[in-house]
Amino acid sequence: MTIEPAVVLSAEKLSKVVEGPDGRLTILEEVSLSVDRGASLAIVGASGSGKTTLLGLLAGLDRPSSGSVVLAGEDLGALDEEARARLRRRMVGFVFQSFHLLPALNAEENVMLPLELEGLDDARERAGSVLAAVGLGKRLHHYPHQLSGGEQQRVALARAFVHGPKLLFADEPTGNLDQRTGAAVSDLLFDLNREHQTTLVLVSHDLGLASRCARTLRLRDGRVVEGDQ
Amino acid sequence: MRPVAFAARSLRREFRHGELATLAAALVLAVAALTAVGTLASRVESAILASAAELLGGDLGVSARREALPESFSSEAGKLGLASSRSVEFSSVVFAGENSQFSEVRAVDAAFPLRGKLVVADGSGVQSVAHAPARGQVYADHAVLTTLGASVGSALQLGGHDLSIAGEIVSAPGSSVFQFAPTLIMNLEDAESSGLLGIGSRATYRVLVAGDAAAVERYAAWAGQNLPAMARLTTVAEAQANLRSAFERGENFLRLAALLAALLAGIAVALAAQRFARRKTEEVALLRCLGASRREIVLALSLELVLLALPACLLGAALGIGMQQVAFLFASQLLGGVAPALPLAPAASAFVVGLAVLFGFALPPLLRLRDVEPMRVFRRDLQTRLRRFDALYLLPLLVGGGLILLESGSSKLAGVLAGALAAVAVATLLLSLLLLKGLRASSRRLPGALRFGLANLSRRRALTLIQVGALALSLTALNLLAVVGPSLLDRWRADLPQDTPNYFALNLQPGQKAEFEQRLAALGASNLSLLPLAAGKLVAINGKPLRASDYAEDSRAGNWIEGEVRVSWSEQLPPSNRVTAGSWLATDPPTAELSVDRGWFELFRLELGDNMTLRVGDSEVTATVTSVREIDWDSFRVNFFMMLDPAHGDPLPHSLISSFHLPPGNAALATLSRSMPNLSLIDVNSILDRVRDIISRVSSAVTWVLGFSLAAGILVLLAALAATADERRFEIALLRTLGAHGRQLTAAVLGEFAALGLLAGAVAAAGAAGTGIALARNVFRMPDYWPPAPELAGMALASALVVMLAGLAGTRRIARTPPMRVLRYGS
Repeated sequence: MTIEPAVVLSAEKLSKVVEGPDGRLTILEEVSLSVDRGASLAIVGASGSGKTTLLGLLAGLDRPSSGSVVLAGEDLGALDEEARARLRRRMVGFVFQSFHLLPALNAEENVMLPLELEGLDDARERAGSVLAAVGLGKRLHHYPHQLSGGEQQRVALARAFVHGPKLLFADEPTGNLDQRTGAAVSDLLFDLNREHQTTLVLVSHDLGLASRCARTLRLRDGRVVEGDQ
Repeated sequence: MRPVAFAARSLRREFRHGELATLAAALVLAVAALTAVGTLASRVESAILASAAELLGGDLGVSARREALPESFSSEAGKLGLASSRSVEFSSVVFAGENSQFSEVRAVDAAFPLRGKLVVADGSGVQSVAHAPARGQVYADHAVLTTLGASVGSALQLGGHDLSIAGEIVSAPGSSVFQFAPTLIMNLEDAESSGLLGIGSRATYRVLVAGDAAAVERYAAWAGQNLPAMARLTTVAEAQANLRSAFERGENFLRLAALLAALLAGIAVALAAQRFARRKTEEVALLRCLGASRREIVLALSLELVLLALPACLLGAALGIGMQQVAFLFASQLLGGVAPALPLAPAASAFVVGLAVLFGFALPPLLRLRDVEPMRVFRRDLQTRLRRFDALYLLPLLVGGGLILLESGSSKLAGVLAGALAAVAVATLLLSLLLLKGLRASSRRLPGALRFGLANLSRRRALTLIQVGALALSLTALNLLAVVGPSLLDRWRADLPQDTPNYFALNLQPGQKAEFEQRLAALGASNLSLLPLAAGKLVAINGKPLRASDYAEDSRAGNWIEGEVRVSWSEQLPPSNRVTAGSWLATDPPTAELSVDRGWFELFRLELGDNMTLRVGDSEVTATVTSVREIDWDSFRVNFFMMLDPAHGDPLPHSLISSFHLPPGNAALATLSRSMPNLSLIDVNSILDRVRDIISRVSSAVTWVLGFSLAAGILVLLAALAATADERRFEIALLRTLGAHGRQLTAAVLGEFAALGLLAGAVAAAGAAGTGIALARNVFRMPDYWPPAPELAGMALASALVVMLAGLAGTRRIARTPPMRVLRYGS
């Protein structure tokens, strides 16, 4: 029997500096954090505070200028792009503000994507049952443009959970939805999170949504002003 | 990830959704156009070759001077299942009573002709198809009968034998246009037993073979290895020097049309692939984010292309064969009822070219998707990192270049076309950059909607450059097909105008010149030319005696050295001659000057300033080569490989040769012939008709092929334009949301497309004109061709109009879509 580490995600002095038209620009400066298995963390801050950049670095979508990230026991800095992709495939799910459903695929096919990437045979069945779980059992063959914004985000949630990820990264998951639909989607997100015992890292400027997470990290100008640091 | 299954599923889904439909349609169209044009061209070419074989009398000839060909040349043909026929040609004087005539005699066996028909008329003028005359009989042509005062049924003497005239030759395979003597056909056995072919006779022995094309090829290979000295192979394509250029031109026209169709298809595929790749960017970013590796993405994209390409190319090939079948039904009657078998090679080659075009043009943009950053899922503005030099982009250039070389089958055609297209691309790029700069500077003075439309061009700089470039290249190809090609064809048809010389007069003595001119003028002859002719022998070059063995690589040189050469002189450069190096002969130079045909100049490896020695009768003249001439051998005028300056030519023993035009069937010509008995009159009306017929058949078939390529090209262009209109859907939705009304949107779109269309149309018209001139000079040998400027200017305006209307039509559709849908679901 293997014992999984209690900390599923940690970052140590993460910084991101880019070359802009007016010289070097520090987007993140020495951010450190850790998230325990099954816990939930909200990253909040104003627009341009570095929330999305931090999320990208934590998920291994980008490389930091300095500092390190350990995800599910793997030091992302020691992995090349391909190894990071493999790790994401196994461990990570995503929910985006603009849903990012592929317009050429219907709801069922969009949810099947992560399973197809793993080469699973029962992708269609599993996608169907997760879609049913999010209340879209009768919308399997609808294309994104035939679904409302709330329905599209529910499809995106189904896609995020369908392969049973250890970690879920959500970037402003209700940002594109009205208040009522947003509330329904966030209820669904937290229900699924509980049900699948997923660790949740959520980026939002909606303090109401953030408050549903166990912990909050507040960023301002790329620095942690409240929370782990 | 299972790449094959993933690619198959992606393909099915995207196809269903129309994502890949444009790319597939462009590919189907490309392969269909290539197959149809290639197959049609190949069948027309076969039909042309078949009619050339009829002229030669067989599919391949082997000829040897002075000595008969070994028996193995006939037996080998039999072994390969080919029919064969032997013949001998020689010159001899024939007599009928008091009259005599120097004639070309062809002695043929019973199998002659293997291809084409020998048609003879009996005494009452009834025509029938014949083979060799029976022993003791001959067929004579009209000139022989007229000069000898003989008729069908009467007798003549040849080599001391009495022979009866069994028929008048109406047409015979293998008759050359400039055979300088009347013709007689006799039985081969008579010739062999008559002693006419003894040692020292200047006979040419020939074996003709005909049959299955592959067997003929094997025979040609065998004959090539076993060819005796002074023997040479004659293929149908080179059977008739004067018709060869007609065939060559026809072939070049067909190849040009097929090539332009292929290039248009390549451009369409490239545009569709660029658009497909742009649309794929978001998907690839998402897949990368969800954990797909770069390798898997590249593999899946490549497999998707393969799965798309195979059925599309197959469908295109099938469609192409169907289309050419329809076209051939119409075109075949132009080919004199010859219906060659359906060749499958062009369809197979179109299939392969289709794959090459797709991968060449589509792979680079798709493979670059491997570098899409997964972070793009959060930030759409994140650009893929551009490498300074991306070797992948050499791929379409290589494919384009390879295509031109492969399809053109001629390095000249390939060079002209590749150079012209490169020049059009560079000119378009420079002018576009200039236009964009100008627009930025003057945009404030433009009205609002127009300013927005034109500003779009600057905003999407890279896309604008790609679109204008693709438009200019496709419009150049279309202009070549629609304007330049047909005008080159017209120019070709005009090569033999109504007053082309149709009679030749030989053996005219210098003292008869004035009377001859006077009598011809009285008959109403036109286009008269009279040139001196001296027959002699080539003796030395730069003092070194000439030996055939010094030019072993080309038997033609040996034939000239061993045989007789003819030389003439004139103060003026004869019409249909052009000096390409050096300067035309002086009238009265201190030492003899010589002007040489370019072909000869190369054959004998001459240089300007070299000295050539000729022996004419008892005199020898050594002349310095001072100019090289390009001669139009298709002009039906008297032309000479060598021309001397008049001061050194006149003292040589010579006769005069004349060419002139008289309406055919002028009976008064017979009296001229009788009153000047030494004169040999040659009637070339039937051969002139044959050449005119070939030009008309080939050019009609080419018009079909050009029209077909043009139709395919226009479809491709419209598809490409519809695709570019699609790029504007997001902006139009945004403008509509912000309250723009229909007129403003129309003005913006019209402004943008008018600028694109005018620039591309103008560059294309100029490019097509330049390409036309280069093609005419270097490929079609029409140095005085000038493309029709008004038509090309009209095409430039029409192109701009079509681009504008196509752009407007494309965006109208988008403008009718509720803007909310576009804004919500993105582009």
